[in-house]
Amino acid sequence: MRLRGVRRYHWARDVDEALSLLSAYQGKGAFLAGGVDLARSPRTDLEGLIDLTGAGLSYIREDGKGLHLGATATLAEILSSAQAQEYAGGILRETLRLVAYPALRNMATLGGAVVSAHPWADIPTLLVALDAEVLYRNAEGEKRMSLAELYRTDFRRIFRESVLLEVLLPPLPGAFAFEKIGRNAGDIALLNACAGLALEDGRIAWARLSVGARPERGERLPWLEEALVGERPSEALWRKVEEEVRARIEVGSDRRASEAWRREVAGVLVRRALARAAGKAGT
Amino acid sequence: MKIYFELNGKPQYVEVEAGESLLSLLRRLGMKSVKEGCGTGECGTCTVLLEGKPVRSCLTFAPKVQGKRVTTLEGLGTLEDPHPLQRAFVEAGAVQCGFCTPGMILTAYALLQENPDPTPHEVREYLVGNLCRCTGYVKIVDAVLLAAQWKREGQWR
Ligand SMILES: Cc1cc2nc3c(=O)[nH]c(=O)nc-3n(C[C@H](O)[C@H](O)[C@H](O)COP(=O)(O)OP(=O)(O)OC[C@H]3O[C@@H](n4cnc5c(N)ncnc54)[C@H](O)[C@@H]3O)c2cc1C
Ligand code: FES
Ligand code: FES
Repeated sequence: MRLRGVRRYHWARDVDEALSLLSAYQGKGAFLAGGVDLARSPRTDLEGLIDLTGAGLSYIREDGKGLHLGATATLAEILSSAQAQEYAGGILRETLRLVAYPALRNMATLGGAVVSAHPWADIPTLLVALDAEVLYRNAEGEKRMSLAELYRTDFRRIFRESVLLEVLLPPLPGAFAFEKIGRNAGDIALLNACAGLALEDGRIAWARLSVGARPERGERLPWLEEALVGERPSEALWRKVEEEVRARIEVGSDRRASEAWRREVAGVLVRRALARAAGKAGT
Repeated sequence: MKIYFELNGKPQYVEVEAGESLLSLLRRLGMKSVKEGCGTGECGTCTVLLEGKPVRSCLTFAPKVQGKRVTTLEGLGTLEDPHPLQRAFVEAGAVQCGFCTPGMILTAYALLQENPDPTPHEVREYLVGNLCRCTGYVKIVDAVLLAAQWKREGQWR
């Protein structure tokens, strides 16, 4: 790997410096955090790289609003953080252990995963299920937005001139489970799913479901979330949900899997994720 | 641009291209144990330790090691004085063509620093990103478990 044509590498000391460096390159500069994604980029137009990992955005902290994950916190740092481990019954740990392998997680950052937003990636599927919010800054100021909403905008353009500062995970009532299926343990997903449930008096009081790598990026299934509320968790319910997901989910074909395969397997993954989430929520 | 870093315990002050990979830099410096299998993060043959933690040198921009410690297999052992992990790989028969071996050993080294008593499953989980086209992995896992046993017996730290 070599990004040809790059002449300078900068270490931004804070976000303002990063933004002014970027604007000085007039479109021929790029931010990088871990750099594992940028390193695979075919771009030949770049002249300057602006490293964000020294800009004070690697924090992990909790307050009344939830868990704040700084954009340049690495996946390994999140995996080993006690606060992140406790969040929502340990779902960050459960999911991030499925992302690539230790050597990648030592470099790859959460912010890099949010911005690169690969449709096959597990992290967007997880974060939309967790109602994640993002905070970013550009010349006009700071903006907070739900991640699901961000992904409906032209977010790649936004991040050509903005620094992602953090991902905020709000306190959630439920317990979560994540399912990923690839060709082997180290593969990227052919399909992934995240489920969250909260129970009250033996009935589902709150539900979250997202499915990704369809091959489109992970999105929630609001119709299923609504339908689940009020139901009693049972094997029969999960079988019914499996059938409904198979009938209704929007999936497609790409060179890795066919639409028919994804339709069949989406039902199974959602069933498994729901059954495990219900087990953790305490049926 | 010039960067300063420590390679296998020795200081280096070298010229790098801003967009160059650590893999390319290390090979220029003669570290031929660091191999380019894929160049895209899929295979693990380019693994090195950065501040003691495994990273993919093919996906690491060279300027990133400024001021840091880098370890390659050359820094772990030599032909005359192999590291216990290298001896374990020979003893268990875990080397065939050998292309994957440096990456396997460095990754295993990092695992055993974190967890000196891994289960076979934990070894497999940690090595999941290191591909081997020859051995079928069984003997590689055996070798790591053997080196772990030697480590617990105090033969190395
Ligand atoms: C081999 C491999 C396997 C992978 N497997 C998985 C997997 O199994 N599951 C999964 O979910 N993901 C997987 N990924 C994706 C991985 O999670 C992301 O590539 C990684 O998190 C990117 O982080 P980074 O810090 O290295 O990004 P970088 O390469 O530094 O940046 C990526 C992009 O985001 C921009 N950027 C980075 N940080 C910011 C910021 N703070 N503000 C604005 N822009 C920013 C950069 O300009 C660049 O365009 C895999 C990636 C690789 C290379
Ligand atoms: S050459 Fe780096 S992972 Fe294959
Ligand atoms: S021994 Fe040949 S690739 Fe592993």
